[in-house]
Amino acid sequence: MAEEETSSEGLGWLFSWLPAWCPTSLLHLKEAEDKMLKCIASTYNKRYVYISNGNKIWTVTFSPDRPHKTPLVLLHGFGGGVGLWALNFEDLCENRTVHAFDLLGFGHSSRPHFDTDAQEAENQFVESIEEWRKEVGLEKMILLGHNLGGFLAAAYSLKYPSRVKHLILVEPWGFPERPDNAEHERPIPIWIKALGAILSPFNPLAGLRIAGPFGLSLVQRLRPDFKRKYSSMFDDNTVAEYIYHCNVQSPSGETAFKNMTIPYGWAKRPMLQRIPLMDQDIPITVVYGARSCIDGNSGSTIQSLRPNSYVKTIAILGAGHYVYADQPEDFNQKVKDICDSVD
Amino acid sequence: MLDHERGWSVSFAGCGFLGVYHIGAATCLQERAPHIIRDARHIYGASAGALAGAVLVGGGSLAQACADVLALAKEARKRNLGPLHPSFNVIKIIRDGLMRNLPENTHQLSSGRLCISLTRVSDGKNALISNFNSKEEVVQALICSSFVPIYCGLIPPSFRGVRYVDGGISDNLPHYESKNTITVSPFAGECDICPKGNSANFHEMNVTNTSIQLSLGNLYRLTQALFPPEPKVLGEICEQGYSDALKFLKENGILNDSIYIHLSFTKRNHHEAVQHVDHMKTKNLTENNRVEALKMEVLNDQLKQNPWPLEKSIFESLPPRLRKALQEACKEQNGFYAQFSKLFPMRVISYLMLPYTLPVESAYSVALRLLNWFPDMPADVRWMQEQLCRIAGTVYSQAKSKLFCTSRKDNYASLRKCQTVPSTMEFHSSYCHLKMPHSSADLETWLWESSCFMHSAMKNAAANMQEHSDLNSYPNFLPNSDESGLEIDFDSSSETSFQTAPEY
Repeated sequence: MAEEETSSEGLGWLFSWLPAWCPTSLLHLKEAEDKMLKCIASTYNKRYVYISNGNKIWTVTFSPDRPHKTPLVLLHGFGGGVGLWALNFEDLCENRTVHAFDLLGFGHSSRPHFDTDAQEAENQFVESIEEWRKEVGLEKMILLGHNLGGFLAAAYSLKYPSRVKHLILVEPWGFPERPDNAEHERPIPIWIKALGAILSPFNPLAGLRIAGPFGLSLVQRLRPDFKRKYSSMFDDNTVAEYIYHCNVQSPSGETAFKNMTIPYGWAKRPMLQRIPLMDQDIPITVVYGARSCIDGNSGSTIQSLRPNSYVKTIAILGAGHYVYADQPEDFNQKVKDICDSVD
Repeated sequence: MLDHERGWSVSFAGCGFLGVYHIGAATCLQERAPHIIRDARHIYGASAGALAGAVLVGGGSLAQACADVLALAKEARKRNLGPLHPSFNVIKIIRDGLMRNLPENTHQLSSGRLCISLTRVSDGKNALISNFNSKEEVVQALICSSFVPIYCGLIPPSFRGVRYVDGGISDNLPHYESKNTITVSPFAGECDICPKGNSANFHEMNVTNTSIQLSLGNLYRLTQALFPPEPKVLGEICEQGYSDALKFLKENGILNDSIYIHLSFTKRNHHEAVQHVDHMKTKNLTENNRVEALKMEVLNDQLKQNPWPLEKSIFESLPPRLRKALQEACKEQNGFYAQFSKLFPMRVISYLMLPYTLPVESAYSVALRLLNWFPDMPADVRWMQEQLCRIAGTVYSQAKSKLFCTSRKDNYASLRKCQTVPSTMEFHSSYCHLKMPHSSADLETWLWESSCFMHSAMKNAAANMQEHSDLNSYPNFLPNSDESGLEIDFDSSSETSFQTAPEY
């Protein structure tokens, strides 16, 4: 296990002030992540992978000794980190190498300044993935992305098609376009619209940082479901702590995400517009939770946009947006089947 | 989803007035895929969800329930203060409606199938009630499940001698985690049957098992849950429930085609519908269906006669019976007084009169409630006494432990709170143990002595603090500064060394 001591980055007064208000630090995050991965019996190694501009990507690798099979690379979603795959590593790494890393600007990885332009920011993400791949030395990979990770995995496959053997999109964010006219939506009172307009300039999770010392209990209050999702592993608030410490650090990936969206939650550059440009040889599987609020129709739309390519849609019953944590057995089985179909 | 071996359940979320959504969804399930409800292992529900479930399983009429909810909403909107007006007795209206709507054997129909989520008052834990001995028990359990504290009243109702309140407080969507549960919720979020909002936001919050997407639409819905919108808007919510349930059935391929005659009736005109019935007849239409079809014809005719106050396009998909209920509820009152009281000046006047009319109306409704309360009074009074005793007991024991135990604790930590104490004073803390323990009998004299001693000690403190090696009782006094807000400043040598300051 090659671990690096975290170096303090000079972000001026903000950085020196923040920890006083929000009880967090990279050390806290590391502890929370260790707790998340504590229950996993398989051996793994974790390390920083250094990429350009002095950035480093926090990487966890399972079963590194299986070079004959295409490795599976997991990209987490917005506000997450490698720890959230805790219920999936063991099954997925049974007969192939599994890499998971914190996206640039999230979790343990560096939190650089992203460009405010949506296209530039997306490019920065994609380049960081490509540099990571070069550094780790992978020729080809099965790319699995959840939420924002799904969007970035698709963007990566568009730019570097030769590196992707199979693209698995789990509840991907940012595929459909924002509908033009809200004909189905019932009229909303002015005061609620005004509230929305007031809140829209803020980062999605700004409230968590503003709450400061109450942030952790805020996560526990608002998302008690996470505790239940991971209840087979932890009885305590490990997951809430992990999510809290992941997101309460200086917002870098979060700001980039904000710049890539238009209200409310739609992508500025929707992926469905670009998906026809993708290399026809890349097979795509879309996995979504039957209960999720993200529209499962993206799968069939992708299919219709790529008539000559392999596109499959899998719905997981009883699962919401966090498919891999809601129904881990089903999810792991489905992903393993997909991987086995590759090699 | 419908695994016949392991069975399935349906769970309705609690949602206040948005319960019309459940009625729409339940109507769809009942008409388009009756086996889903018929063969379900359990129907779970909290609050309004339990009401919908009870009507569905217990043999009530959904159209009647819809009319009841809309009437309730109209009643709530009648006064200036809305549902907060003292004369609005929501529990009584719900009870009367249930008593009317549910058949006498409803407890036999729903026992073992209907699970009502309740929150026990004594410990705040959830309880699922599923066996009932009489119709009254079913209604009482539903009342308990719908009792939003403060909004509905102050004294929680009891079920079999135990006090319960709204099930939504502890578990708003029972058994939602199971794969085999069809979850129904009027809030956009992670449910099988729920509205899909115009938002791609994946952030959500989870309120006692109900997932609520963070969107403006949901914020609006939350405000509507207890403060009902106009009947027309409620009608739209009902229709939304129907169409969402239909979408769910279509997506999962469990739409029952034999019932689609209903759709044809609402979509085509009368003449075509008759032709359609003839066409279906040749396809071995059963006698039963024909009777049903005739009823529909009558209903459709009635609907055509009345002017339709709502948007046709939205409500066309609803089954005629439900449409009729909605239509009647949305009808404007045409009387002279109703028209007159709607005028703007009249409304302004009624608001201005509120300070005068409210006490009178309140007194009247309080008297009415007192009358209704008489039968339950002894039990409720006993319960209130118990609660008061308990609260007093807790307060007393807490106060006791605070008062008498603080002097026994080693209070070195609280001593450090006084930041102006010089570090040289810290050694005195070791004396804490010497005079321990004080009995409560000599507490007063001890306090008096120590404060006197303090006073004299203070005068000399600045001059020769080091020499006061016998300050032994003084650290025992200091802890009280925490409670009384007394702050001692050792740096000032003046007489005003006692300052009463709020704790910071």
